[in-house]
Amino acid sequence: MAGPAPPPAPAAAPLPAGGGGGGRVRGQFDWDRLAARSRRRRALGRAALVGFLVLASIPILLPYFWVLTISFSAKTGGVESVVLWRACGVLIPAVIAFALGRMLLPRRRQQWLLAGFVAGVAVIAVAVAVGPYLHFENYRFFWVADIVRDLPGRGQATHYAQFPSVWVAFRNSLLLAVTQTALVVAVATLAGYYVSRFAFAGRASFLQALLVLHAFPAMTLIIPIFLLMHWIGMLDTITGVILVICTLELPFAIFIMKGFFDAVPWDIEMSAMTDGASRRQAFLKVVLPQVKVGMLAIGVFAFIRGWEEYVFVRTLLFEKANWMMSLYLWWVADDIMGVDYGIVAAVAVFYVVPSLLLYLFCQRFLVQMSLGGIKG
Amino acid sequence: MARIELSGIRKEWGGVVAVEHLDLVIEDGEFVAVLGPSGCGKSTTLFMLAGIYAPSDGTMRFDGSVVNEVESRDRNVGIVFQSYALYPHMSVRENIAFPLRFKKVPDAEARRRVEAIAGLVQVGDLLDRRPGEMSGGQQQRVALARALVKEPQLLLLDEPLSNLDATLRLTMRTEIKRLQRQLGVTTILVTHDQVEATTMADRIVCMSKGRIEQAAAPAELYAHPASLFVAGFVGAPPINVLSGRVEGGGVVVNGLRLEPAGEGVGAAGEVVLGIRPEHLRFDSHGLAGRVDQVEPMGRETLYLVETAMGGVRVLEGGAGVRFAVGDTVRIGFRPEDSLLFDRESGALVPGARVALPAG
Repeated sequence: MAGPAPPPAPAAAPLPAGGGGGGRVRGQFDWDRLAARSRRRRALGRAALVGFLVLASIPILLPYFWVLTISFSAKTGGVESVVLWRACGVLIPAVIAFALGRMLLPRRRQQWLLAGFVAGVAVIAVAVAVGPYLHFENYRFFWVADIVRDLPGRGQATHYAQFPSVWVAFRNSLLLAVTQTALVVAVATLAGYYVSRFAFAGRASFLQALLVLHAFPAMTLIIPIFLLMHWIGMLDTITGVILVICTLELPFAIFIMKGFFDAVPWDIEMSAMTDGASRRQAFLKVVLPQVKVGMLAIGVFAFIRGWEEYVFVRTLLFEKANWMMSLYLWWVADDIMGVDYGIVAAVAVFYVVPSLLLYLFCQRFLVQMSLGGIKG
Repeated sequence: MARIELSGIRKEWGGVVAVEHLDLVIEDGEFVAVLGPSGCGKSTTLFMLAGIYAPSDGTMRFDGSVVNEVESRDRNVGIVFQSYALYPHMSVRENIAFPLRFKKVPDAEARRRVEAIAGLVQVGDLLDRRPGEMSGGQQQRVALARALVKEPQLLLLDEPLSNLDATLRLTMRTEIKRLQRQLGVTTILVTHDQVEATTMADRIVCMSKGRIEQAAAPAELYAHPASLFVAGFVGAPPINVLSGRVEGGGVVVNGLRLEPAGEGVGAAGEVVLGIRPEHLRFDSHGLAGRVDQVEPMGRETLYLVETAMGGVRVLEGGAGVRFAVGDTVRIGFRPEDSLLFDRESGALVPGARVALPAG
């Protein structure tokens, strides 16, 4: 209270501050108390958020983890959860120790040391706890061409009952996903540009139609599409399926790309053209780089859509040389007597990996979907 | 550098007329400002010159050759957009070098020219930045450099200063004018800001509703506006406008009769009297009035004065604030500063002058 004009404090300063008063002391504020309360609230809020996220992610992560453990541990016929629980018993304390270390240890170096130590202990503990259960037998489809041949009673099975190699299915799925990604990105980019830039008769209704088409459940079209494919002779061809999925995927992709092109100002294009670019050069060198993120986004969507496609693949393809990963997984689950969960889980893990890799590779770009740099 | 001739230029979009009829000659190396309110067709004219829009009618000549059909990229026109339109994914160096890529300029020479022009507009030390990492003024300079690097025969500036703050605007104004002098490039500036136009340009083309109202040097435009529109658009604070009618050789404004002076008032019926605020002065023999509002502006003071003619703005410089609200004052003007316009057409009645009644 050495200031030039001390506030009048007629009553004794520290009044019992309770009830509705909070940190307020008759015309004055107890700043320390308020700061402490704010700190407490923030800490509580953060703890609540972390707790919620942990709880919400358990039902999502646990099944995947279980599939992973099954694929490496299950023996033919049976499925056990003992490996899952043992692994969890090691990993959960490890994760908690790691998190505590990050929170409590002040130095980066100490954190790394602790992380290394925890990881080492966890690896040893996992090896001890579940090591004896682990084997690669469920992944035999990688090297055994026909996984059902060795099953009892299936040796003399008909041609149609035999499995193709998983690599055939993998190749087909990849072909489907990559081709349709390329098609969707190319067509949607050009169409999106056109819809964004050019006024033509029926533009508004075209845009509305795009949205309606996207909202329209594709399953209802399955019989007409089947007939159509039959009539034009594309039934049981991968090309046919690619075209069908492309068609269904395009409306939404065009709409997304239109949005991205709308955000690119006209000025930039005009500027490029007065700078000596042709319309096409202006598009390729100036406009396209601004919508790269949009192309990446629809590309990822298209790839995942093609990779995970099941219904149309199941309906339009019969020959086993045309199997996709989704069909392979379905037949593995369906066609083996008494369902071998171990092999189903192994195929599932193999099926998930490409999507996961793609996502890990692209998420950096997809999360920061900002352009910037055009503002004045 | 080029001499630009526009004759009978017209642009419409499905019945909506943007530019009605344009005849204009711009001399080689001239700095012309196209001034007008938004929607008067000035930007459309600019884009037609750049080759982005094709005129619906009329001919455009660069140095005597018709360029109507010549594509934008072949016209060798540099343009600075209001938004600068820099390419966000390229560095400053790549932005400035962009026009040279299409001209097949060898790398070494392109590099030299980019650095020279960047030095000229003072962005030499920013060459490796992205447009997003620069301030508005710096982006503006880069846009200018990009427009100038190809040594254009015509430089077009579309409201180049409107996104800058007041101080920067002043600096850039001077700088653009200096550059234009130095390079001698024919330049057209499009703006709605009369200060920008009068301070920078050799000649101002005042446009309204797709037509040229007047094309003249800034001083001429100020002293002898061809129409009420021009008189109202040029000059700040705006000109005083008083409606009246010609009666018996004089002009009656709000019941006050003004005597003819100079060549008389002509025969027009309904007229508008225009007197600039800076041409009104306090005069003990003048018309009585009451100060209604006082706006000190530093060097000058603007008074709103209620008189028998109606309310007028009086701008007095260098005298501080002499009157307060409610004071009774007397104001007068020199007959040669009065302007009479036909109310119907807005056109100036040439030579018409009025004077306050004696006493």
